[in-house]
Amino acid sequence: MSGPGLSGPGLSGQGAWSRRLVAFVGIVALGFLVLPLLVVVPMSFSSAKALTFPPPGFSLRWYQTFFGDARWMEAMWVSTTVAALSSVLSLVLGGLAAYGLRRFAVRGQGAVEANFIAPLVVPAVIVAVALYLGFAKVGLLGTYLGLVLAHTVLAVPLVIMVLGVAIRSFDVRIEQVSWSLGASWFRTMRSVVLPNLAPSVFAAWIFAFISSFDEVIVTNFIAGAYETVPKRMFNELILEINPTITAVATLLIAFTMLALAAVAVMLHRAGRLKDTML
Amino acid sequence: MTRSGYTFIAPLLLLMFAAFNAPLLYMLGMGFWSKGGGFTIEHYAALADAPVYLRVLAGTVRVSLVSTIANVALGYPLAYWMRGLGPKGQLVAVALVITPFWISVLVRTYAWIVVLGNAGVVNSSLLWLGVIDTPIAFLYNEVGVTIGMANVLLPFLVLPLFAAMLRIDNRLLQAAASLGAPPRTIFWKVFFPLTVPALGAGALMVFILSLGFYVTPAILGGNRVTMISNLLDKLINEIPRWEQASALSTLLLIFTFAVFALYRALDRRSAA
Repeated sequence: MSGPGLSGPGLSGQGAWSRRLVAFVGIVALGFLVLPLLVVVPMSFSSAKALTFPPPGFSLRWYQTFFGDARWMEAMWVSTTVAALSSVLSLVLGGLAAYGLRRFAVRGQGAVEANFIAPLVVPAVIVAVALYLGFAKVGLLGTYLGLVLAHTVLAVPLVIMVLGVAIRSFDVRIEQVSWSLGASWFRTMRSVVLPNLAPSVFAAWIFAFISSFDEVIVTNFIAGAYETVPKRMFNELILEINPTITAVATLLIAFTMLALAAVAVMLHRAGRLKDTML
Repeated sequence: MTRSGYTFIAPLLLLMFAAFNAPLLYMLGMGFWSKGGGFTIEHYAALADAPVYLRVLAGTVRVSLVSTIANVALGYPLAYWMRGLGPKGQLVAVALVITPFWISVLVRTYAWIVVLGNAGVVNSSLLWLGVIDTPIAFLYNEVGVTIGMANVLLPFLVLPLFAAMLRIDNRLLQAAASLGAPPRTIFWKVFFPLTVPALGAGALMVFILSLGFYVTPAILGGNRVTMISNLLDKLINEIPRWEQASALSTLLLIFTFAVFALYRALDRRSAA
């Protein structure tokens, strides 16, 4: 989606007054966006039990509470394993499907693709209700398998979108050369297609992992006795304000920013940063 | 080529059918299924009869509309300002918009409790400045929910809008200027009309997402702001009325698809 004039000037000769107003609103809006993150991080190092800002003193007590709590650690384990399994599953199945959609003339392509993107468009709460009712019917409600399947479905649109763009922009003639030189389909995939798509595959995997790791609505409906980190956070937030949450939140922010930075570096090296982000 | 596209697509189609399409169809069916068996519309009639449903629906639409308007008011100037920045500035601004987008909605919503609470950042600043004598109640009402939702949704409007603004050719604006149009005229007669499809598409996307919001109203609204999602939660998890939950979900789904069709039409025009 790159276009001309990325660094183009604003409207030349525009009134100074209105330019200043636009800049002011723009900066306020950016501040509004990042304010929550700027507040949560210092709070997590607070020594006080009450949520006062700025924090009265520095301490790591909320991190100690978090890492010393067996239930939080159990939730961490469930979140991590579910995210690992569902992100790999959606990456493999979604990757194959994106390849099939881009490299072959597929009957009903539009409908198939719309179906794969649908979990992103249908409000999560409707997916939650439907999966609750459907899973209750077939005995998947409250099971680990049910949780993994649900998270996989929710991550599929991200994988399809990221890899769909990447496969389209990868010249099909390079694959054809590989075939014409006698390479098997598997060999072509392993030695030609995957190495070229690696940055986008990595990006898709990270996006799928984050989407599962942050998922709260569907999990809250169908997980039964299983507790993930967001599910526990959500249920604690509804009951009381517990500063341990600020430590969990800061860890989540740090984890997400590291993952995004890794994605940005990979895509930047491959020259695909702008296409994937915008 | 012996392979067909469906060799690659079939595994995912199978999974999607089992864990997405079939449950949704089952839910749609349940809304029309009477206890004794057979087709009925009693569950939909029950929705129309109970005033609580209408109240929740009106509240959901109101909060969603205000959040969308707030998003447009903040997001358009932000995207426009970003367009005029240099390459480095644009990179920083885009990073600042994208990062919150990927950070857990829970985390971002939670932060507003700290910011907007009675002893929060905003109230203590206002008290200290002497603007107010008693803390303003931002939390556990529609104001807090709307602020939280506008915050979570802003990137969904700004990113596509900024991308659309970048596609506008500067030479068009220069041509208008060289023909003697004053800046205000160039903006309103040339620039703004070119961004209207993207703005409309972004606003509709924000509106769709608002309608299904669950986390933010539950946390920032306490029990006092109920949106459709929270009502569905009650109908499933607290007072099991699965048929009515199905009927309500179906209505929300139809409405979402209708708005989404409108979004697609606008989005195509903005990409063209």
